[in-house]
Amino acid sequence: MSDVVLSVRGIGKCYRLPRREGGAGQLLAHFKEFLGVLADPEQDSFWALKDVSFDLKHGDILGILGKNGSGKSTLLKILSRVTTPTAGRAVVRGEIGSLLEVGTGFHPDLTGRQNVFLNGALLGMSKQEIRRKFDEIVDFAGVEQFIDMPVKRYSSGMYVRLAYAVASLLNTDILILDEVLAVGDAEFRKKSLDNMERVAKEGRTILFVSHNSAAVTSLCTKGLVLSHGKDVFQGSARDAVTHYLRLIQRVQTVSADQLSEAPGLVDLQRAVGFDGHRPRPTLTSVETCRMDGTPTRVFHTGEGMRIRIGYDLGRDPTPYFCVFFLDERGERVMTLYSYHNSELPQLRGRGVVDCVIPELRVFGEFSLMIDYGRNAAPRESIDCVPDATQVAIELGDYFGHAGLVANQGYVAQRSNWSVAVEPMKQVSRA
Amino acid sequence: MTSYAAPLTTISPVTQERVIEPGHAWQDLGLRAAWRHRELLRVLVWRNISVRYRQMALGMLWIVLEPLALIGMLFVIFGMVLRLSSEGYPYPIFMFAGLVPFTFFNKAVIGISDSLRENMGLISKIYFPRILLPLSAAARDMFDIIVWLALLVALAWYFGMTPNVRMLLLPAFLLLPLLTAAAVGLWLSVLIVRFRDVRHLLTIAIQLLMYGSPILYSPSVVPPKLMTLYQLNPLYWAIEAFRWALLGRPMAIAPEFFVSLGTVVVLLIGGLIVFARYERFAVDVQ
Repeated sequence: MSDVVLSVRGIGKCYRLPRREGGAGQLLAHFKEFLGVLADPEQDSFWALKDVSFDLKHGDILGILGKNGSGKSTLLKILSRVTTPTAGRAVVRGEIGSLLEVGTGFHPDLTGRQNVFLNGALLGMSKQEIRRKFDEIVDFAGVEQFIDMPVKRYSSGMYVRLAYAVASLLNTDILILDEVLAVGDAEFRKKSLDNMERVAKEGRTILFVSHNSAAVTSLCTKGLVLSHGKDVFQGSARDAVTHYLRLIQRVQTVSADQLSEAPGLVDLQRAVGFDGHRPRPTLTSVETCRMDGTPTRVFHTGEGMRIRIGYDLGRDPTPYFCVFFLDERGERVMTLYSYHNSELPQLRGRGVVDCVIPELRVFGEFSLMIDYGRNAAPRESIDCVPDATQVAIELGDYFGHAGLVANQGYVAQRSNWSVAVEPMKQVSRA
Repeated sequence: MTSYAAPLTTISPVTQERVIEPGHAWQDLGLRAAWRHRELLRVLVWRNISVRYRQMALGMLWIVLEPLALIGMLFVIFGMVLRLSSEGYPYPIFMFAGLVPFTFFNKAVIGISDSLRENMGLISKIYFPRILLPLSAAARDMFDIIVWLALLVALAWYFGMTPNVRMLLLPAFLLLPLLTAAAVGLWLSVLIVRFRDVRHLLTIAIQLLMYGSPILYSPSVVPPKLMTLYQLNPLYWAIEAFRWALLGRPMAIAPEFFVSLGTVVVLLIGGLIVFARYERFAVDVQ
């Protein structure tokens, strides 16, 4: 036997969701939900989670990432025994504690003190244990004066802090946490993050769901990305975050080598929008060119770039256009709006707008997202194409012969250095 | 050796292994798990009781005021205006003796039936043996009914029935309405989560049962032809037993008693099995 404390094999959860067609179908749907024999296994079911497997060892901290509805919560619910799986098997060695929501069971009419005992008991702590830690809990939450007041009179911040404080003292071998860092003000978030880090150092095994990619990168040792109920990536926390950000932003960066042969002009008429929808396709093409007009996908820092956006407008006479530069992690590095430093005239029908960047100050591989919308209050996006095109910007000899390494940032800023002729007055010693 | 009665959350050196997998087989009734979680049961009962009476200006006083107001009202309507026969016993005490076991059944069956639906918030976020929910609901109503019982004995005393040994049996007689409530409620609790309609049907059924039990009137008015059917109602026997203990009114155990008791026991065991089998689907149907 190894030191694997949680072994998940092919776990899945299927919900019976019969299609409802008015009248008798409605009633039939009700019965199909209960009586499996009536339901069509293909049509009437929905796999919220399918075939997920992983192993966690003692001290592993797994970050689970995924969009809403990707099956994250279902996975946590299965592992914390709130719901049963439809397929697969998980073996747990040790006591498992879960925190799917902060303040479960808190009753507004009960006082803070009573709720601490109630919530603690629900989380599986004994009365003596809660009593022993009571002062610590109240202190952590910072609600001393209000502890004997019904929690419905608490501010939402106080409520959440008290709830989190109880939960943070859960000390099971395996801990399941869902989105718990997303509560409270900045100061409290810092406090709870520190607390998590402390727990992590104690060698506990933690499963942690969050949208906060920074928290996942800094706390977790492993990462798992779910999409549509399937496990699409497993690996280190950092790689998982990168994968997840790409997934949500539809980012696809391509290296300079691959781009050198790629055409500068990209047809956008068949491009997909967010969630596959483009209700009013307006953007028709995008072309990246050098300042002299040569189409290309590879640029150099310090040079200029001309982005030519083709459009086929309806009747809206006051449009704006926008280009987002996203790096390989899906983070927006630059945003260029047509109304930033210039003003577009009224437009009609088909045409092309030019966006000129006089001097590129960044380097790396980027995915460009193009957005078009109405430039009148309220400003509104009408057509948006994520990952419309990709460009590579090479640092080249921007800094002379030197370059930048991994942790030296991704903004290229030239600087002039010389030896000062006069010493600065403020610093000079008396 | 694992230590005996170790607290739940300590990191035990001897790690136990638990398998999470689709439950195909009929699992155990969860009564052993409920015993392990008795501390939580205690807290849930305490929560149910304190939440019910908090936020009321008169608080706990309502436990006494509610039955007194009810007796007063029923006495005026059925005892004074309609002048229903109470076989020569004082009407308020005759009626109240029937009302206590019935009210207990009424409260407990609603409490148990609603226990899963009321606690959806807990069920969908925390694991614990779900059987604790109907148990704690029943315990809350037990707390209320003990006050009613004390009131009943006091009222009987006021009407000249000095407390005697037989009255000590009264709490035991409450077991019958409790088991009946559980036998019906456990089935309904899993149904109500999915079909809210059942809740309304239950209210109507309880109303019917109230008039179908000898609470406001003496069972002597029931036509002999219908007596067998009438006596299949387990509450009939609870009410008869109450009147026997309190008023010294004679009662005869008929074979119908055993039939109705047997039905309750069968329904109760079935209810426990159905609850154990279907409670875990509650979280999936929302």
